[in-house]
Order: sequence, then structure tokens, then C-alpha cells
Amino acid sequence: MHNWLRFAVNHFFSNSFFCYKMNKLKLIIQHEYMTMVGKKSFIIMTLLIPFLILIVGCIPVLLAYINSSADTSVTRIAVIDESGNYGSAFKDTPNYRFMVMQGDKAVNAREFYKNAGESIDAVMVIPANVLDDQQATIYSENTIDQGTISMLTNCLSDTLARAKIASFNDPDLESKIEQSQVSAQVKSIKWNEEGDEQEQSAQFASVLGMILSFLTYTFVLSYGAMIMNSVVEEKTNRIVEVIVSSCRPMELMMGKIIGVGLVGLTQFAIWVVLLGIGYLVLGLVAGGAMAVSNPEAITAGMNLPGGTDMASGMVDSTMSEVMTALASINWLSLLGNFVIYFIGGYLLYASLFAGFGSAVDQASDSSQFTMPIILIMFIALYAGIACIENPSGPMAVWCSIIPFTSPVVMMVRLPFDVPWWQLLLSIVLLYATAFACIWISARIYRTGILLYGKKRTFKEVLKWVK
Amino acid sequence: MNFIDVNSVVKQYDGHMALDHVDLHVPQGCIYGLLGPNGAGKTSLIRIINRITRADSGTVMINGRPLEDKDITNIGYLPEERGLYKKIKVADEIVYLARLKGMPKQLAVAEMEKWLTRFDLTEWRNRKVEELSKGMQQKVQFITTVIHRPQLLIFDEPFSGFDPVNAEQLKREIMQLRNEGSTILFSTHNMASVEEICEKITLINHAHVVLEGNVADIKQQHKKNLFVVNVAGDKQVAPHENLFDVVPSDQHQGTLIKLCPGVSLHDAIAWLNENYTLTGINEQLPSMNEIFIETVQKNA
Repeated sequence: MHNWLRFAVNHFFSNSFFCYKMNKLKLIIQHEYMTMVGKKSFIIMTLLIPFLILIVGCIPVLLAYINSSADTSVTRIAVIDESGNYGSAFKDTPNYRFMVMQGDKAVNAREFYKNAGESIDAVMVIPANVLDDQQATIYSENTIDQGTISMLTNCLSDTLARAKIASFNDPDLESKIEQSQVSAQVKSIKWNEEGDEQEQSAQFASVLGMILSFLTYTFVLSYGAMIMNSVVEEKTNRIVEVIVSSCRPMELMMGKIIGVGLVGLTQFAIWVVLLGIGYLVLGLVAGGAMAVSNPEAITAGMNLPGGTDMASGMVDSTMSEVMTALASINWLSLLGNFVIYFIGGYLLYASLFAGFGSAVDQASDSSQFTMPIILIMFIALYAGIACIENPSGPMAVWCSIIPFTSPVVMMVRLPFDVPWWQLLLSIVLLYATAFACIWISARIYRTGILLYGKKRTFKEVLKWVK
Repeated sequence: MNFIDVNSVVKQYDGHMALDHVDLHVPQGCIYGLLGPNGAGKTSLIRIINRITRADSGTVMINGRPLEDKDITNIGYLPEERGLYKKIKVADEIVYLARLKGMPKQLAVAEMEKWLTRFDLTEWRNRKVEELSKGMQQKVQFITTVIHRPQLLIFDEPFSGFDPVNAEQLKREIMQLRNEGSTILFSTHNMASVEEICEKITLINHAHVVLEGNVADIKQQHKKNLFVVNVAGDKQVAPHENLFDVVPSDQHQGTLIKLCPGVSLHDAIAWLNENYTLTGINEQLPSMNEIFIETVQKNA
């Protein structure tokens, strides 16, 4: 009995038809994978994208750095103070020098500028009724940059505000106003079943959901298009007839879908690793730069009393917020579900791209079939964006259960808790639809790949399913 | 014994009849011509035999048993519209297609080396297919068709795209494969090559088999009692009222005569001998080209 069983099992796996079929699928997957991974465009994209992300992420930091450290130019401004009160508010800074004159209407700003020659860059006139008009003017033959104007505006506004407060003759008013400045916050606490409190950051969860949702959308569309191109290419160069005389069309289609999907996962993994490394390296470089530029930071801090303390305090509190937010998310279930939806959505759309790709002779003819697919994906993405506001609202619930939108919309809901029955229903529907799409696409595919010439309509193509 | 038996196969596409109760019997080890004008149904029949599509009704038997999916590893197919992956290396392409036909990797590599040497392509093995000339791509395609030593080879217009030297080499290879035991189904419009290498043919027109049999027998059946007569002195033979007619032809030597109905060759020779100095007489059998055109036009 035992021997008989062993013989049967061995026979099944070594020599049977099943084994022969699996080998072919494996071979096709391997071929599709290797062909695509070996392409120059793949290598370039895979290496370039994380680099671009890092650069884009660094631009604001770099700009701020260049602005603060590299700007050693000094702008000299003559202030003609017709009011006689507010000129003294303008104090010299490393980048600005002020020359304050108690003026009257007799002083002509234009003549003054001319006579001063190279020694000043601009003339500011503070009129006598500035407290009522709340307006001053700056003149120059050069263009005055926005930074200078906003610095002057802030300075003037502060001075005028203080003057107004003083005009009420209430010595406590200033402190009263200060005390009435309120910045309220609503903290959200989630109870778990035991009643333990857990702080959650809705904002962080929303951003996370949006990233996952956008990732699914981009991946499915770009890799779906890749499958379509690959199908059309095989048809155009006529290799497909040779291949389907060696294997079933279904095997070729599935081999392609799985192979290209694995290419996508590979690219994804490389991106995560490269971004991680890039983040670490940047962190080290930035840390080093901070240490080098520290003396400047200290001098800047002296100009702004308590500035550095405040900044570091803010960084600390943001960090701790992010840390609590990170801790409040159930990563295992989030990532598990992400992968489940990712694969389901990919299978669904990739099979449609493969099926309809087989119906055209050239990639340029494919738009009539791809348009509806892309439109549905668009709707899904917009529904996802709209659902951020209310991840448990009726639209979010429906769109995360309907299989064509669920892979994108459910991503927005995942960081918040989704009732288990909704999750289950949505996953079952998604996979049922994905397999139905594979079945339909396979039937379109096996007819489509062998037909050339005429442009097909949507209706004709659907007839092939029968 | 027949290697392939196609029995009463019917195939319809969208109301268009591609094959209407078609029979085809290909003996083991035969080079068999599948002929027919464009759109007659040849490609449909070939696709059914190599299981790319299914017949609506009828059966296909291989070696006396019904054709199954796993039999496709035992078939090599060279389609009329040649196709290869253009962006991959010659060696990778051959090995991949061989493995798809069920060859183990090591064997596929060894066989690939052998065939590349045979076709003088060794130095091209690491080049991309798109870098090869059209003739060389055709050779690669041929290698991918035969590398797994299938018992049945289906060639659809194998000589198109080959220059005469390469076509000759290809013909030798096809003969060699037949001598090693392969059965060859050969679809073409090139009637000269049919006459040269096919033993039997089937002619399909408008989804029906219209002619079938040994090439020699078919020629006999279609002979028109035409003879080329040569007489001494390079003279032209004049027609004879009761015995034969002279048929205008582009013959440079001799006269083409057509015997009148009921007249025996013996009588004609006797008369010619009396009136001329007969130096030679040869029966002119119709070419396959003529038979093809005549049969197709008759069935139009």
C-alpha cells in the first residue's frame, strides 16, 4: 500500500501532464521576467526614479539652506520718515542696513536717491499719516525682491500694531492680547477592546492611505500598459503563432501576467531598498552639514532670542507625534491587506489589458479599448481622494466593495479600521471578479492573437467570449 | 500506416465556412503537399493539426489515436508569417523555443550548437535576432522548428525569403529529416518545389478537398495525350486530319501534337514513321502548376 502510494505520487510529479504544464508556465514566466528585467529602459527607470524622488524631496531643504547660508549680500535702504515716529523700528540685520532720516515733505526721494549714488540701494518713504493709511512706499532703480518687501511689511505692521495698542492707553492690553491668542487642537484617542487608550493621528493615517492608494493606481496602470504592449508586440512580429503551437494561449497569457507582475514587485523592492539607503545617506550628510554650519546657527539664534530652542522643540514634538502615529497602526494587517488588494487589482486589470491588447494589430489602435479601463481607474483614484475626508462614509464603503474600484479605494480606508465583514466581502468580490476577468480575457486572447487586419469594435471582441 | 488522419473536419468562423468535411491522410515518412489558393483553408487545417485551434466537428488522429495536447511537443511548425522575438539573442531564442517544446535545457543547448554550426551561424549566437539579415533569420526560424526532432513537421511556404543557394540547402535538410523518419506536411504555392519533393498531395479549394493522391498518378490522370515529336532535318510536323492536331507551343525543338480521341499512340507513330524520319517522341505530362490552375478554375 505504502509503495503503491509512493509510486503514484512520484509518477504524478515527475512524469505527468500536470508537471509538463507547470514547467511550461514556469518557463514562460521566467522568459517574460528575464526579457523585461534585461531591458535598458527597466534598469534606467529602476535606478532613476528613487534618485528623482530624493532630489525632489531635497529641493526645498536645499533652497532653504542656500537662502540662509549663501546670501551674504547687503541691501542698504534709506528711510525717509515723514511721520517722525516709526523710522527707528527698522534695525540693521546681517543682510540689511538702514539709514533713518527724520524727513519732511521737502525731501524729494528721487533727488535723494540720485545724490546718494552708489551708497544706497533703495529709498523708503514713511508718510506722516502712515498709522491711518497703513501704507509706505519703497523706490529704487533696481528691482526690489519679494523677501525685502515682506521683511519691511512685517516690520512696519508690527510697529504700527504696537503703536495702535499703545494709543488705547491700557498698560495691560498687550499681555491681554497675547493671552487671547489661541491655537486649539483636537486630539483623537481610540479605545481598544480592553478600554486601553491609544492615540491615533488621523492625518498620518490619511497620508499613508493616500500613498498606498496612489501606489496601487500607478502600478496597475503602468504595468497593465506594459502587458498590453508585450501582447501587441508578440502579435505584430508574429512570434505568437509559433508560441501557441507549443503551449496553450492561456498559459502564455498567464505567464506574461505573472512574469510582468514579478518584474513590478522586483522594481518595487529595489525602490524601497534604494530609497532607504538614500534616506540614511542624506540623513548623515545633512547631520554633517548641520554640525559644520553650527556657528552660523548660533549667531542666527542670538538675533532671534530663543529661536533654536523653539525650533528643536518643534522637531521633537513632530517626531514624537509621528512615532505615536506609527505605533498606532497595525502594520501586519495593513501590509497583508495591501498585498492582497494589490495582487487582486493587478490580476483584474492586467488580464483585461492582455485580453483587449490581443484584439489590436498595433499599439496605436488600442486606445478605444484602453480608454474605458483607464477611465475606471481614474474614477477609482478620485473616489479614493474624496474618501479621505470620510473613510467610513457611504461612498467610501461602496467604492471599497465594488471590485473595480476597491483595490484603490480600500487603501485609503485600510489605515482606519474597516469592519471585518466589509473587508471579507470586498476581497471575495475582488478575487471572484479578477478570476472572471482572467477567464473572459483568456477567451478573447485565444481568438484575438490569431486575427489580423480589420480593426475590431468592442462589440465584436465581446462576441469572442462565447 | 498513416501518421496523420484528418477525418471529416469542419471549421466555421463567424458564419464563414473555412473547412467543410475535409479529409487528409498523411502516411508515415512521407513528404506531403498541402496545396490550395489563398484563403482556401490550408492555414485553418494546419492550425487544427497543431492544436492552435479546435475543429467544430470531425477528428484528427496521430499514429492511430486521437490527437492530444501533449502531442504538440512532437510537432514542429514553421508558419508562413515568420516570427521571432527580435530583441533577444539568437542562442537564447533557440533554447527558449526548444524548451517550450519540452526539451531539457542541456539537450536544447547541445542541439542548438549543432544546428548553428550546420547553418554557419555560430559567430552570430550572441547577437540579437534583429541584427541578422533576413536570410539568417529564416535559418534561425528553421532551426527552432526542427530542433526538438519532432515526428511531424509542418512547413508553410518554407522557401519564401530564401535565395536559391539557401533554398537548396533547406531542401537537402528537409530530405534528410524525412530520411531520419520525420513525416512532413508541406504547404506551398510553389508548384515546382511540389513536383521536386512531394510524393503525395491534397489540393483544397473553397474549404473542400478537390484533388488528392500521388503526384505521379495525378499527372497521369490529367494527361492530355500531348507528345513532343522530333523529326530529322529540324522540320515541323503538319497536322493530320484523323490522327492528331498540332498544338502551338513555345517548344524550341520539335512539334507538340495532341492525339485525336480514340487514336492510339501506335497508329500515330506508324504514320509519322512513314512520312517523316522520326528521331524522337516524348509524352508531355502536365505540370503541377497546370493541374493546380485547371482544378482551381474548374471548381471556382
